[in-house]
Amino acid sequence: MTREMMTGNLAAAWGARLAEVDYIPVFPITPQTEIVEALASWCDGGDLAARFVTLDSEHSMMTAAGAAAAAGARVFTATSSQGLLYAFEVLYTIAGWRVPLVLVNVSRALASPITLEPDHNDVLAARDSGFLQIHAETCQEVLDSVLMAYRIAEDQRVCLPVMVNLDGFYLSFTREPVTKPEPDQVRAFLPPYRPAHLGFKASAPQSLGVAVLGGASYTYFRHQMQLASLNALAAHQDAAADFARLFGRRYDLIEGYRLEDAEDVLVMSNAFATKGRAAVDQARTKGRRVGLLRLRVIRPWPADAIAAALRGRRAVAVLDQNLAPGLGGILFQEVAAVLYHEPARPKALCSFIGGLGGKDISEGEFEAIFAQTAAAGDRRRGIGPVLLYTEGEQHTMQELLAIAGNVEQPSAITPQRSGGDPDRPLSSTGS
Amino acid sequence: MFCSMIRIRFQGRGGQGAKTAARILGTAAFLEGFTAQDSPLYGAERRGAPVSAFVRLARGPIFERGLIAHPDLVLVADETLLAHQAARVLEGVKDETPVFINSSRPAQELKAEGACPGRFITLDVTGLALARLGKRGVLSAALGAVAARLVGLKEAGVRSAVEQELREVGLSASTIEQNLTLALECFRLVSAAPLTESVPAEAPPTPLWTPQYEAPGRGSARITAPANAPLHETGDWRTFRPVLDPEKCNGCWLCFAYCPDGAIRMDRQDKPVFDYDHCKGCLLCVEECPTHALIVERETAGPRRKETA
Repeated sequence: MTREMMTGNLAAAWGARLAEVDYIPVFPITPQTEIVEALASWCDGGDLAARFVTLDSEHSMMTAAGAAAAAGARVFTATSSQGLLYAFEVLYTIAGWRVPLVLVNVSRALASPITLEPDHNDVLAARDSGFLQIHAETCQEVLDSVLMAYRIAEDQRVCLPVMVNLDGFYLSFTREPVTKPEPDQVRAFLPPYRPAHLGFKASAPQSLGVAVLGGASYTYFRHQMQLASLNALAAHQDAAADFARLFGRRYDLIEGYRLEDAEDVLVMSNAFATKGRAAVDQARTKGRRVGLLRLRVIRPWPADAIAAALRGRRAVAVLDQNLAPGLGGILFQEVAAVLYHEPARPKALCSFIGGLGGKDISEGEFEAIFAQTAAAGDRRRGIGPVLLYTEGEQHTMQELLAIAGNVEQPSAITPQRSGGDPDRPLSSTGS
Repeated sequence: MFCSMIRIRFQGRGGQGAKTAARILGTAAFLEGFTAQDSPLYGAERRGAPVSAFVRLARGPIFERGLIAHPDLVLVADETLLAHQAARVLEGVKDETPVFINSSRPAQELKAEGACPGRFITLDVTGLALARLGKRGVLSAALGAVAARLVGLKEAGVRSAVEQELREVGLSASTIEQNLTLALECFRLVSAAPLTESVPAEAPPTPLWTPQYEAPGRGSARITAPANAPLHETGDWRTFRPVLDPEKCNGCWLCFAYCPDGAIRMDRQDKPVFDYDHCKGCLLCVEECPTHALIVERETAGPRRKETA
């Protein structure tokens, strides 16, 4: 084992290299490109015996990835944001082929307006595709999750593709110490890919993704995907146990931080969960009994584990780094559904939307979340979706709108401030 | 040295090497056994535009990510950034925060001009780079080494880190050696700075704003103001400026044709006039001038000349 400074992107590439993948179809997109650049140089230099192919688009890239996996190759590829959306119909198609490839998505907020920094509307858009999803918090977890992803995907109980998600910038371009497993140990963890149901043999041709009209046979195969995905819960735990034994690092479906005696729990995912830990520590110095629940495996949805972690709490706040316009936070809905049947369900469920387009969540905003959540618990009535946005940010926005020429129109709607005096007028608009 | 964690912010311009300097510091500390985290922030890359890079060094796990609003040490890759409004190089700096500035001028002089917080330290890294390497601009190794010295890291780690990180960006062995010599010279010219570790401030709940519906004219991203690009004075991206020697100019208009930003106009005598509010200092005009009538002048802090005729 060697320990070195590594970006999340490089960690993803190392995961593919250590998994000794056979085939890597690629198309570049910020902030993912560094992954395929690293793999390109390794293939070129003979460090990785994989076929590296540049395609004309993400749509072709995912088609090639699925086809190669069906032919019996271990396949790795990566994309981000608009690239993931461009590959969208193929995601569903190849999941139905039951091909166990691994796709790394580097989260980047979706257009429009266009930006580069992360939120999770890209990866969560694919939540119903049949791909399993693992969301990583650290660069180490990115590397380890790619290895675990192959093990789970190739498990005969599962045979579904897996998406490993990391946040653009906050992980993709951030270096931190990462321990690189030894190739021999990885081989012990991840045996060679020998799928029983896939592979190309001229003497035994097979047809994949055939048409099934009439509904009932379609339903049969869709049910098989549902059961395969649920099987991944057990496959994950088996893989996690072996991984911990070989490498000393343990990953669960969900991860708790200071939950033991927590009255209120904040639910988060991905790299900003690190900030959430610091916020929990800070809030505890002020006497708030709070904890953090980090969602790691999002598909399959670990309903039992989440219910067990959240039952009996005073209040639960879900901080979604995504926005379903007209609804609110995507993960909030899924957490709420899990808790409905719990006799000891929390007194209040609160929904917060933050970190859109990589917007920082400041200590003061975390403090606002904890304060509002505690108050909601006491009132026994949840709140939200609360759109995290500060007065200072609104002030800057007014200035930018003025520069862009979009001057203020008289509005019929009375402005309101949350948590303050509703009669107080709009703060200075830079005029 | 420090007890638990220190936060270091590099302020540079695209192309100057702030990102690599941060990596050199991160690697040097990592090699000495610290937990390190480094990350750059540059948006859409533009040579000369202000960029930042962040390094956190700790003795335990680091529960922070992204930008550093309250740095314990700031390194400024050139003094002209001090006056740059958007760069906000001194944001979050307290009276006792060491601020290293690459400048040929004494620290007290810069400090007196700005009336700003921070304990200023200066060293003419660009001057040394010009003297030793014959190159202007790329300061990563030297800046990384200076940072390592200021936080109290050892020379051996800095040496390995410079070699490792410059190899990573694909430089030749001889170029790495030259950079290393310069880096170690800078390392020895500064001394460890007393650092005050900022403790996480008691943060009261931030006042939140409830978004209000706006008509799509203001509620969707669009620009309706005509010709507002000149409002953005890209002249402050410049660290070196082109200056005309009228005696040598033959009036060929090539500089005018090559300027990618339309920052050169020609006067009635067919001589170029520079719009220094918008000239980004790419120096293409200097490269292209067939009679060598354009010379390069280093920018310094303080008021800038707007236009020459």
